[in-house]
Amino acid sequence: MTKEKTKGGRITKWLVSGPPLLFLLVFFVAPSLIMIVTSFRYPGEFGGLAPLVAPAGEVGGEYGLTLEAYQFFLSSSLYAEIFLKSFGVAAATTLICLIMAYPLALLIARSKKRFRNLMVLLVVLPLASNFLIRIYAWMIILGPESGLSHFINTILGVFSIAPLTLLFSPFAVLVGMVYVHLPFMVLPLYINLEKHDLALLDAAQDLGASSWKRFWRVTWPLSLPGVFAGSALVFIPVLGMFAVPEILGGTGDILIGNLIKDQFLGTRDWPFGSTLSIMLTLAVLSIAGLATWLARQSGGMKYAE
Amino acid sequence: MNLRKLCLLMFVTMLVLLPILSTASGAGKKANTNSTARERNVLYLFNWNNYIAPETVKRFEQSCNCELSQDYYSDNEEMLAKLAAGATGYDLIVPTGNAMDSLIRQGALKPLDKSLLSNLKNINPAYLNTAFDPENKYSVPYAYTLTLLGFNRKKMQDLGLPTNTWAIIFEPRYLEKIKGRITVLDSQRELMAAALKYLGYSVNDTDEEHWNQAKKMIIRAKPYWAAFSNTSYIRELAVGNLWVAHGYSNDMFQAALDAKRTGRNFTIDYSTPKEGGVLALDSMVLHQSGVRTDLAYQFINFMLDGKNSAELTNLIGSGNPNMDAMKAIQPDIARNKAIFPDKKLLTRLEMLQDFDRNRRRLLSRLWTEIKLR
Repeated sequence: MTKEKTKGGRITKWLVSGPPLLFLLVFFVAPSLIMIVTSFRYPGEFGGLAPLVAPAGEVGGEYGLTLEAYQFFLSSSLYAEIFLKSFGVAAATTLICLIMAYPLALLIARSKKRFRNLMVLLVVLPLASNFLIRIYAWMIILGPESGLSHFINTILGVFSIAPLTLLFSPFAVLVGMVYVHLPFMVLPLYINLEKHDLALLDAAQDLGASSWKRFWRVTWPLSLPGVFAGSALVFIPVLGMFAVPEILGGTGDILIGNLIKDQFLGTRDWPFGSTLSIMLTLAVLSIAGLATWLARQSGGMKYAE
Repeated sequence: MNLRKLCLLMFVTMLVLLPILSTASGAGKKANTNSTARERNVLYLFNWNNYIAPETVKRFEQSCNCELSQDYYSDNEEMLAKLAAGATGYDLIVPTGNAMDSLIRQGALKPLDKSLLSNLKNINPAYLNTAFDPENKYSVPYAYTLTLLGFNRKKMQDLGLPTNTWAIIFEPRYLEKIKGRITVLDSQRELMAAALKYLGYSVNDTDEEHWNQAKKMIIRAKPYWAAFSNTSYIRELAVGNLWVAHGYSNDMFQAALDAKRTGRNFTIDYSTPKEGGVLALDSMVLHQSGVRTDLAYQFINFMLDGKNSAELTNLIGSGNPNMDAMKAIQPDIARNKAIFPDKKLLTRLEMLQDFDRNRRRLLSRLWTEIKLR
């Protein structure tokens, strides 16, 4: 970012990067360390953790450190399946968000300057109300006695197709996920698209490019950094989400977030919950690494700077 | 340009993180700080959701000249987990037997001074000295609920389905008529208890072979269920979205009342399956972290009074262990076998016992498998 070798430059650099570093240290590194230690311990009889050292007078028993939780993780293919399923849902949500957000972001970025801020505000506005309330609202919209359900099923009835249940289904989970995370795709895309030099498009047109070609050869490659940023902002939170599948999902819609929550709130098994969390963190980190690498490979950065 | 981008990105990151943090923070919640409880007259109660009528709360607040502040849980495991995660400041908790047993063995409860509880004599001796607290050193019975089936009577009659057996939630031949209109409790122990009872075993059975039979039966029935639900079934039954729900007797009472009040063209009914089920006796206990023991005793005495205790039944439909309350309970409720089971049914009801940590882990894996398949 900077090549200054002066002392002042270095101090500024530290001042700028210090707070985020501290944030990462306190809110990411420290909790991760606690989690790693927890994952190697035994669960307590009543929840929490078993003591590290056996209480005086007690011989044997389950104290100290153990690989038990990891062995349990590997004891069944169930857990790998849940991971795969969660990644599938996260990928689908990201893709749908991208498809929905791109035209919107482009529209905002290409509209008159005085409307842009208002439109961005409108995108962010739903976030002003509580997240759970917005999800419960979807319960009403998708419910079997709702107007939407009746409308869809009446149409399906005309073609004599069996009625659909919208609520408590993978579909409802996807709707909830996309709805909650859409703004996080729109904003990075908008920030990127807004900076594009429109002269490039004019030049492409002068050289005889069709409108589709102008988009595909100029706008899309230039917007890749925005696409990657937005995808990361959607993909990663979706992986950890447990409230949406719990409220809108049916009997089979368990994701990794629900499983982790269950270990803490249902089974009182902290070590196993920590093991699952660590696996998730590792998976997310490798995906973030992959995304960075992809972004660099794509070369989009070069033009965007 | 870059700075602006950075700022916006940070803003977006914050927006992502905020809802996640705010939903997650519930687990480690502190009810209050000690100083504020002393300054103000506040009794902190950690209670089941929908387990005391607002009218009763109001009258207690008038009688003690204090404020009753409640936090809620919808599952014993949830309450225990929150306490294990460090939630403190609750004067009173209303756990079910097995959870109370766990709290007693942890040393998390204060022993009761019975000389301060003049109304204790009102409790039916049948509900005293349970296996969980043999001499009632720590607990005073509050109310009980049965885990049973609530249903839309009109729909069940139209479809010609039985309503007094667990078969209705486990047998595909019945389920295919009510596909997508039925929920079961999102509780490992409660659902297993129903399945084990239907198979003819005890709700506290730990035989893995029996667990596997129950699992297979649950997985076979699952495609017909709309969802696992711990609280939303009350509303969904009352508006007619659901036709059958596996749930607690006082929640069904609420659903029936809601359907009646809103003038629906159907009634919500509930009954205990003939195979038997779970009886959950909830008791008032003093938590070690509580500050206002004086108010807690006032509350216990208040709730032991027949007239006040009767409101637990008349207003929210709980089963009542208080003999003095019986005369104030509406006759139609007193006759309801789903709230006051008769002797014959009582022998088929069981209380849940806590599992050790290894059993809990195994049950959790089984539960995960149930949810994933």
